[in-house]
Amino acid sequence: MDSNMPQHLNKQPSKPRRVVILGSGGFIGRKLSEKLAASGIEVQGVRSSDINLCSADSAVALRAIFRPDDVVVFAAAITPDKGKDVRTFMRNLQMAENVATALEGIALSHMIYISSDAVFADDLPPITESTPADPPTIYGLMHLAREKILASVLEKTKTPSLVLRPCTIYGPGDTHDSYGPNRFLRSALGERKIKLFGQGEEKRPQLYIHDLIAILLEALLRRTTGLLNVAPGESASFGSIAQQIIRLVNNGTSVESMTRSGPVTHRHFAPSNLLRAFPRISFTPLETALHQFLRELT
Amino acid sequence: MDSSKMNTIAFIGLSHLGINYSLATAAKGFEVIACDPDQALVQNLSDGKFPVAEPGLEELFSENRRRIHYTVNPDELKLASLIFFSLDVKTDANNHSDLQPLCRLIESVASHITSGSTVVFLSQVTPGFTRRMVAQLRNEGRWQAGAVYYQVETLIFGRAVERALHPERLIVGCADPTPPFPEPYRRWLESFGCPILPMRYESAELAKISINFFLVSSVTTSNTLAELCEKIGADWLEIQSALRLDARIGPKAYLNPGLGLSGGNLERDLQTFRDMANELGVDWRLVEAWQANSRYRRDWVLRLLFHHLLTSLDSPRLAIWGLAYKENTNSTRNSAALVLIESIPHIEKQAYDPQVRLPDNTHPKFRQVSEPLAACREADALAIMTPWPQFKDVSIMEVRSAMRGRLILDPYGMLDETKARQEGFAYFKLGAGEQSTVNRPGCDD
Repeated sequence: MDSNMPQHLNKQPSKPRRVVILGSGGFIGRKLSEKLAASGIEVQGVRSSDINLCSADSAVALRAIFRPDDVVVFAAAITPDKGKDVRTFMRNLQMAENVATALEGIALSHMIYISSDAVFADDLPPITESTPADPPTIYGLMHLAREKILASVLEKTKTPSLVLRPCTIYGPGDTHDSYGPNRFLRSALGERKIKLFGQGEEKRPQLYIHDLIAILLEALLRRTTGLLNVAPGESASFGSIAQQIIRLVNNGTSVESMTRSGPVTHRHFAPSNLLRAFPRISFTPLETALHQFLRELT
Repeated sequence: MDSSKMNTIAFIGLSHLGINYSLATAAKGFEVIACDPDQALVQNLSDGKFPVAEPGLEELFSENRRRIHYTVNPDELKLASLIFFSLDVKTDANNHSDLQPLCRLIESVASHITSGSTVVFLSQVTPGFTRRMVAQLRNEGRWQAGAVYYQVETLIFGRAVERALHPERLIVGCADPTPPFPEPYRRWLESFGCPILPMRYESAELAKISINFFLVSSVTTSNTLAELCEKIGADWLEIQSALRLDARIGPKAYLNPGLGLSGGNLERDLQTFRDMANELGVDWRLVEAWQANSRYRRDWVLRLLFHHLLTSLDSPRLAIWGLAYKENTNSTRNSAALVLIESIPHIEKQAYDPQVRLPDNTHPKFRQVSEPLAACREADALAIMTPWPQFKDVSIMEVRSAMRGRLILDPYGMLDETKARQEGFAYFKLGAGEQSTVNRPGCDD
């Protein structure tokens, strides 16, 4: 068995006493809050409007919230659609610094950090948990740095932790407008036009938000520790996703080709560790998910 | 030296290696002392009860029983002119060799070896071991033995008897390869009628790893190309015939795709090289890639199961044919079947294997049955994890009658693909896309 296999500290699922979600106003945080509340688990949400995690004061405010035996899900980040510059990079690191300061000396029951597959380079063989992180962007570097910052603090308090590295997430409630299913569906419904770089040849895995939330819930119930990539084993080209959406909305949407700025790259995952860790989870097929997504949008 | 001692050869350490080589030596007409400290093992071997399954082993025992004497008494080693240390070196979960049992065995019997005896290490030692061990024992004054050699073993699980009786060559590591072999060892070596290659200890120790590296290279290359075949509608079987007729590749090349590396020996040698290379500053990235590819291909069945079955049924039941890591053996070391079983604890599993019987309650929702069709009873999918030849004889129609689902994962192509499709099965094998209709023979290695 792979030496990087995550471990479940709870042999049987057990509800955590309370889950503190940093970034509860974001795409993932909001969906997770809803799911936990529906599952009867107490949630303490922390939105940027409540506490600005970039501010040095936030460490004190967070310390007032954190209780021993809390579970903390760190899902707060300034995403690339809001900035890709050095200033954004530093603000994201400040968040991690402040959270780390707040965690000093507090032994939590469990912590989950939502990282990103941006820690991986492009054009790799099918990515596993053994694939070395080599971020090509400062956004990916930021996530890798935050993983390490948090690990160094959590190790001192012996807090069990899990790092999840999801691929691009799509679905209803998305606050971003990144290139992929979200943007394509919205522009098909609005402008009746989908803009692709080249012919959209690049293949990428796409993760439906409900699938990620199901995995997060399982990880919370089982107190899973270690490192997991979260991505389906099948990757689709942006061109094929656009065509699926065009068939789905059936409103005469056309494709517009834009000049690509870089070479065509692909990304595939081999999610064996994820399947072993959570054998009951399943990835919603893209077509099914797009149907659901469309229903919720309209 | 008296003629009786001259013609007597001892084997100390009776695991798979010692059992097969001691009987092969008896078959060559030598008197054999087979020694092991395990009383129960020695008793069983004396009665012809073997802890390993190998084709031809029982016949070899019956035919040569009169020339082999099993004992726990190391003092009987004094009766032999040639002594083989033949304990298999086991590996841990990460494929690191554990040499301690062999070292303990050597130290425990060192004082029973007389000055005229020739000693041969047959165990799978790491490069540098032989020279280091001999120097240590001689320095401590506990080693009276004459010449000491290391001999490469190239047994294959499932073909061990054939390989022990008919090696294609014998590779012998020597302190100095120049002098002739002592008479007892020369006679033994020449009895096999094949080329004898003396070389330095270190060269021989690394020769074994080198052989396995080329096998791994072929297997991994085949697996890598076979995967692309699966994606583009090519059939690796058709390509194989072209490769086998290429003189640089050859008719016996390891070209059959498989579920990664298993059995333990290849994995051990990769890890040994990696550890040594890491310490000595040698590039080991290729080895890392082989290891990663092996883990990836091992999960071929798991990925297909998730894609085609596990996400669409609430309580699926899986039939598994084969638990051994390959056909004609009862070894399950790094077996893809066991890794699969451990990966799906929540799934009902019904397994059949002609040789392997796992202890009860070793895995959740797992039961073993005594025939292939019983494993298929009410199953949603069938995974054929070991290419036992007898699986080819099972009727697809009877499989269909027994199963409730229509999914067959047959990595080694044991069943008739065309018939399986005619019976309504979704059928998958290594090295071919779902629509391939070319029949393939079974594995020949």
